[in-house]
Amino acid sequence: MSRYEVNSLLYRLKKDPEFRARFVTDPEAALAGADLTEAERAAFIARDMRKVNELGGYLHLVMSIPGLAAH
Amino acid sequence: MGRIVFGGAMSHVLDPDYYERACGSVGRQKVEAAMAEIARMGERCSARNPDALIVVADDHLNAFSFNAVPAICVRIGRYVQRMAQDHAEAFDKVLDHMPERYPLHEALANRILEVGLESGFDLALSWEAPVDHAFLSPVNTMHGTRPIPPLVPIWVNCFVAPQPTARRCFAFGRHIARVVAASPWSVGIIATGGLSHFPELSLPRVGETDTVFDRKLIHWMEEGEHEPLLELTVGELHKSGEHEFLNWMVLLGAVTPARADVRYFGELPRINLAAVEWRL
Repeated sequence: MSRYEVNSLLYRLKKDPEFRARFVTDPEAALAGADLTEAERAAFIARDMRKVNELGGYLHLVMSIPGLAAH
Repeated sequence: MGRIVFGGAMSHVLDPDYYERACGSVGRQKVEAAMAEIARMGERCSARNPDALIVVADDHLNAFSFNAVPAICVRIGRYVQRMAQDHAEAFDKVLDHMPERYPLHEALANRILEVGLESGFDLALSWEAPVDHAFLSPVNTMHGTRPIPPLVPIWVNCFVAPQPTARRCFAFGRHIARVVAASPWSVGIIATGGLSHFPELSLPRVGETDTVFDRKLIHWMEEGEHEPLLELTVGELHKSGEHEFLNWMVLLGAVTPARADVRYFGELPRINLAAVEWRL
């Protein structure tokens, strides 16, 4: 199964517009409290959704986060 | 005595703009052709005046997220809401123009749930879960401006491992058939999603499909040979991008041994589009 933290974060980015805005403005600060590995954190900060998917992020989430979606 | 009066299955991102962006003009052409056939299926369904329309589909981590992911969930209550998504992208954008609220067939949903639990199906229930494009894109394409019958939305967990087996989904479909037969209602049932797309749910493989696998499934459905389908493993479905065929397995259980007629099949790099109707 995919890692919970990665997908929980993806879900929050999709469904919580305020959190998404904070992430877009300052991703490192937005992720400060998240329980991520260094590789996961780096992938999110780089907005590398291909890497996030490779690390266990569900495809339908990485393809549908407003403004951040991979296509 | 109740009866299933319509059975159909179809792809569920029915949006020419989406396919134009993903696959160019051929994408638009093919999804418009599929939608035309699905609209005709809807006309035939409406002509049989169903009291309810059961929609078997999957959640795309919209309704259930990670607080709970039910293997099979029956939506109960009197109404269901369309999923809300700000600045919707991709397949979520399909919902933008659709009505926001849909009446449910509360009594049929309750029977499927209650009799199911009595007979060994440990079903989940929801009063609040909204429905996404997997439900509403086919339902609205089928009905256009005609009234939509009261719905019974049923979710199958197609994506979050571990999923229910193909055999279990088929058995649940048999349960639905028994509930309908013991009821006073005429019922339509559709399953949505597929066919092959997004193998292994891997972003680098978006754009690949497994047409050989699709044609194998279609052959068995056309012939009414459902036994081989019971043997499908979740691993096979994952590798071939047939995750959503679990929804179709529920429908097959409800209509077996009926044979299927393919109304549309079109290959696209992103997804193989399909519309199939059963002879009832």
